[in-house]
Amino acid sequence: MSAPQLLGYPRSDGRWGFRNHILLLPLHQALCNTAREIENSVFSAVAVSHDWSGEIDSDFERIAKVFAGIANNPNNFSTIFLTIGTETETKIIERSRVLGATPLHVLSLSDSGSMAHLLTSAIALASQLKEAANKESRVLAPVSAIVLGLECGGSDAYSGITANPALGLASDRLVELGATSILGETMEILGSEHLLAARALNPAVGQQIIDLVARYERSINYEGIDIRGAQPSRGNIEGGLSTLEEKSLGAAKKAGSAPFTGVLEYADHPTAPGLYFMDTPGHDIEQLTGFAAAGVNIAVFTTGRGTPTGSTVIPTIKVATNTQMGSVLADLIDLNAGTIADGSQSLEEVGSLIFDKIIEVANGRQTKAELGAHHEFNLSRLYGSTL
Amino acid sequence: MRKVLFLSPLDNIAVCLSDIAAGEMISQEGREVTAIEHIPRGHKISIRGILKSEGVIKYGERMGHATTDIPVGAHVHTHNVLGDRLSTEQV
Repeated sequence: MSAPQLLGYPRSDGRWGFRNHILLLPLHQALCNTAREIENSVFSAVAVSHDWSGEIDSDFERIAKVFAGIANNPNNFSTIFLTIGTETETKIIERSRVLGATPLHVLSLSDSGSMAHLLTSAIALASQLKEAANKESRVLAPVSAIVLGLECGGSDAYSGITANPALGLASDRLVELGATSILGETMEILGSEHLLAARALNPAVGQQIIDLVARYERSINYEGIDIRGAQPSRGNIEGGLSTLEEKSLGAAKKAGSAPFTGVLEYADHPTAPGLYFMDTPGHDIEQLTGFAAAGVNIAVFTTGRGTPTGSTVIPTIKVATNTQMGSVLADLIDLNAGTIADGSQSLEEVGSLIFDKIIEVANGRQTKAELGAHHEFNLSRLYGSTL
Repeated sequence: MRKVLFLSPLDNIAVCLSDIAAGEMISQEGREVTAIEHIPRGHKISIRGILKSEGVIKYGERMGHATTDIPVGAHVHTHNVLGDRLSTEQV
């Protein structure tokens, strides 16, 4: 198997970026609008919006980890924090500096003296950084530079037989070539975790997969929800899915059949190449946000209904599971895997097309989500709010 | 136009890509199966005989077990398959 030619931006911590973003990261809800205004003024700067305003509750650890991780995503050339000037914000910035992968800048409202002044100085800084970013050239990168995120949303009866298994073939090939690939959505593997655990590199990793699903089940039982009886849903059964295992296997097919190297907590960085499972909510944007914080630098998102969401810093390739949606929503879809069901292409052919598309997008080709400026970001709170 | 999808060589089922009528013969990729009953699009057809309690294999993995003997060409669904771990139905 020959390795494809890959071009990226080497970062100081050894990771690679496939974009060279100037990221505008407000650490208070009140500054999100300012971040957007900067994004509109400085071409290709990326702003984050959220509804967090510094509350320190039991989610703070998770929130701080996500902000620090996103700030240091390897697709960033540089990150500008916008702050009010509070101690909580300082804690997050300090935590981001510890990761130390991306040059960080801080502009605070208390130093600027006014919103207008903050905006002017932020635009000046972002423009200056953009100019520096544009001077950098891509260099030849190894396949191990790829940290792929696997995602599905708006699934249909075809997801498990077209787009997901085709993506699985592409993921397997990348993992075999030394890349990292991450599967998420704990809820989706409930029912097939014993099968995924059997694919673990060693029994300890297998047990971690089992434990993680058990923990998830305890947390939703705590919320008084029993999803065992609800899955597969009536609609799934009408569509032809007979057991929960079958449904979960269809979702997990995105991760092909490579062995699992390890298990990651939400937003944690993988430390070596291979296939990982990450504990994430089923919510698409929260999952992509967790991937971004973990250093994922490219993602593939399979969809049956045409979910338009992208990610703040990860180029996200949309793969349609059926030809009808793939042609109707052509401005959202990068690749149609419905041809597998139509009979005009085989799983292997579509798997190859997805692989080629990943390389092409990594090398700079814009995805439909990027062209549509889909920079969605959501902070993940407690499980109860994410079901 | 392909009528069914064979997902793994280990599988004892295939997924129907269109409605299959009772008595319809499927000849595809060197295999032949005759449907013994109507099978809706998106549902599964047995491509080998499956004995009661034997695993139903999709993607090369066990997605549940047969609750009755299933002949070749039959509709494989909730009436003759049960998940091993969690299921909406009881035998």
